[in-house]
Amino acid sequence: MTSSDSQNEKNGKDGPAKPRVGVFVCHCGSNIAGVVDCGKVREAAEKIPGVVVAKENKYTCSDLGQEEIVKAIKENRVDRVVVASCSPRLHEPTFRACIQRAGLNPYLLHMVNIREQCSWVHAHEKEKATEKASALVRMGASKASRLEPLEAREVPVEPSTLVIGGGVSGIQAALDLANMGFKVHLVESKPSIGGVMAQLDKTFPTGDCAICILAPKMVELSRHPNITLLSYSEVEEVKGFIGAYEVKIRRKARYVDEAKCVGCGVCAEVCPVKVKNEFDEGFGQRKAIYVPFPQAVPLKYTVDKDSCLHFKTGKCQLCVKACMNNAIDHKMTDQVVTIKVGTIIVATGFETYVPKKNGVYKYWEYENVITALELERLLNASGPTGGHLTRPSDGQVPKRVAFIQCVGSRNKKIGNNYCSRVCCMYAMKNAQIIKEHYPDTDIAVYYNDIRAFGKGFEELYHRVREEYRVEFIRGRPAKLTQNKATKSVMIRAEETLLNKITEREFDLVVLSTGLIPSEGTKRISKTLGLTVSPDGFLAEAHPKLRPVDTAMDGIYLAGCCQAPKDIPDSVAQAKAAASSAAQPMAMKKVRIEPLTVTIDEEVCVGCGLCVELCPYGAPELVQSEKGGMRARVIEALCHGCGTCAASCPQKAITAKQFTDEQISSEIISALAPATKGHHGKKDAEAGV
Amino acid sequence: MGEAEKTFIGGLHEKLTEDKVIDESQLDPDFAKEITKYGGKDVMTCLQCGNCTGVCPISLRIDYKTRIIMKYCQFGLRKYTLGTQWVCATCYRCYEHCPADINPAEVMIALRHIAVREGNIPPFVKVAATNLVMYGQSVKPDVEIEKIRKELGLADVHSKDPEFKAVLREIRMIVQATKYDKLIGIDTEGKA
Repeated sequence: MTSSDSQNEKNGKDGPAKPRVGVFVCHCGSNIAGVVDCGKVREAAEKIPGVVVAKENKYTCSDLGQEEIVKAIKENRVDRVVVASCSPRLHEPTFRACIQRAGLNPYLLHMVNIREQCSWVHAHEKEKATEKASALVRMGASKASRLEPLEAREVPVEPSTLVIGGGVSGIQAALDLANMGFKVHLVESKPSIGGVMAQLDKTFPTGDCAICILAPKMVELSRHPNITLLSYSEVEEVKGFIGAYEVKIRRKARYVDEAKCVGCGVCAEVCPVKVKNEFDEGFGQRKAIYVPFPQAVPLKYTVDKDSCLHFKTGKCQLCVKACMNNAIDHKMTDQVVTIKVGTIIVATGFETYVPKKNGVYKYWEYENVITALELERLLNASGPTGGHLTRPSDGQVPKRVAFIQCVGSRNKKIGNNYCSRVCCMYAMKNAQIIKEHYPDTDIAVYYNDIRAFGKGFEELYHRVREEYRVEFIRGRPAKLTQNKATKSVMIRAEETLLNKITEREFDLVVLSTGLIPSEGTKRISKTLGLTVSPDGFLAEAHPKLRPVDTAMDGIYLAGCCQAPKDIPDSVAQAKAAASSAAQPMAMKKVRIEPLTVTIDEEVCVGCGLCVELCPYGAPELVQSEKGGMRARVIEALCHGCGTCAASCPQKAITAKQFTDEQISSEIISALAPATKGHHGKKDAEAGV
Repeated sequence: MGEAEKTFIGGLHEKLTEDKVIDESQLDPDFAKEITKYGGKDVMTCLQCGNCTGVCPISLRIDYKTRIIMKYCQFGLRKYTLGTQWVCATCYRCYEHCPADINPAEVMIALRHIAVREGNIPPFVKVAATNLVMYGQSVKPDVEIEKIRKELGLADVHSKDPEFKAVLREIRMIVQATKYDKLIGIDTEGKA
């Protein structure tokens, strides 16, 4: 490139303002400099029209590196800054703050990624990588010279949270926030909070009784002055943005007035209808008017409309007559309430995998093949058998029990590639409980790999092996056959450590079923527009550094809706989510990025394509003063993704910092003659 | 001393020297790639759960376990796989059950391709291939079989059909063109 070329470009395209660009090339130790010749990149940058200063630094993000930027800006009257380093996801906020210290508008910064997108991917082509880095810097400088200053806005944050899901994660998050002084609304779709943890017998690895440690929390929650509990309710619609969400909640008709019901249970005593109790996984029975379990919170009865005799025949009403408080009202209807909250915590949890019909494990075909959650109810003192382990076929105590691991997990065939993380430990915990109750029981665990990674887990593994003599067979069962007379089940499996096929008979077979995203999790991902990971669980914003945040500001994740996890991890994550949600609420305001779109009302024809395409619901159609509809963007909702700008047939939409002019200038400089270049030059001649 | 050693080791002598430590020289890291080249899926995805062995009708009867062949393939222990691949009945039951979505049966077929190309051709393969070229079917026409067929009221085998000569010519053409005859070592120029 000759100086006359650059002079022409300078006068031709940059207009009279002539921005003064400063370029800062980062070595990132040897991350970039080990591949890219940063000296050459800097030299090339110096020759770019508009660039008044170019420097290189070992670590630009360090204090020293930042000071150099500030110094260079002041000394050279720089008004546009290019930092060629890592991904803007990492250090854009750092450098924006840095140039702001030097007196510049923070949005006059452009980051060029020469690490992830250059040195790391071209480690074996050093010369070409250097050439590419120079080209990227050239493009960046060209765009930078066209940047406009932007102002970030601040919006107030409503100091209240919506927690969706009343399992242990939701309960913990709600309690933490309420104890910090924020108002919390907790929505639970079932008649009682408690989630799956309430169904469990004991918890691993310590053997604490699940409901004994959970129930006090549930009661505390229901009595907390800062918490409004909306049980038997579902989130229908969420509008708004961080700081000001507007949530529509459907309060399903309980047919029992919560204010009047005292939970005495007389109604259930007289109710003539008996159905299978979901809470006992179908083993026990409940009435058509019921509380799912004795420790339910709120302790308010609910009429199951599908089985209630009154709804079927129009008669009965025995419960109505029995109730001393006149709490029962079969004419009750669903109510929709609207609440305003500043932040949302999603804690919609998991479901357990249901084995397929006619599958290898014969769950639906053989009576004595049960799932682990069913076993939990059979072992539970308040369960249908009062804690006495009996097998379903004949009510006898099983002498030989087998656990089959990885049912519905780690299986590519059914698309659940992930490990459910809890099955190894709950199988061992249940084996221990059975051995404690019936020391003569023979127990075998068919496993693929044992994952005893948590605190105290390995110790439990050793305890069940050594103290309780539980047998571990390394192999995935291939075939289950039922003895027609005794209903016992024969398991054929390779003991892979012996390289021999084994056949063993058991009285009871327990399938250690994995965890899958719950229906509520799937539904809420659509209602809130949350990203879903390939495994179907909700995606966090960053797997390591933002594990409880979502891509949506003001919405956080807790518990098993994000991935399978055990109770300690769920509680820890709930506390983390509460802490994240508290930050904007404690500050009472939040900064909204100005990187949004603008819509030119003169050009817009009101076709509505942007409204349809926007993943955040930011644009809306409004009546124009000049007649006809025009699109308008609600800036607080806009994430500046540019989908609308790219698709607008009228080119009425401009994405700030990504204007057509800025992008075209980048493309033109990409095709401009490379400093060293051969084929770059040819391409440029052909392209421009 | 010599006598004592003999007594001590006894009949185990040969076995002991065979099962010595596996060292790097026996491992072939590219073996998994070679298997995919001949149509098998990537054996490295195998988790060694043993489900394939459990459902394998052959593994039940002989000292041959599908899972362990997969392990040998992962390590690239070529010589341990030699011979075993021929007993697979390719019933695909292992494929049906495999949670890692590998197809062990097709890995076996790939292992056969590899063995043949290395010249490790078991006699029965040579016989079947020769029969194919000679008679158009892998089983040699046999008087006894013909008698049974007649008793069962079945038609003559198609190789007896006068028009079958043209088919046979085509088979030979394919065999020659693909150099299958050279690979297996059959002489198609011989008797026809």
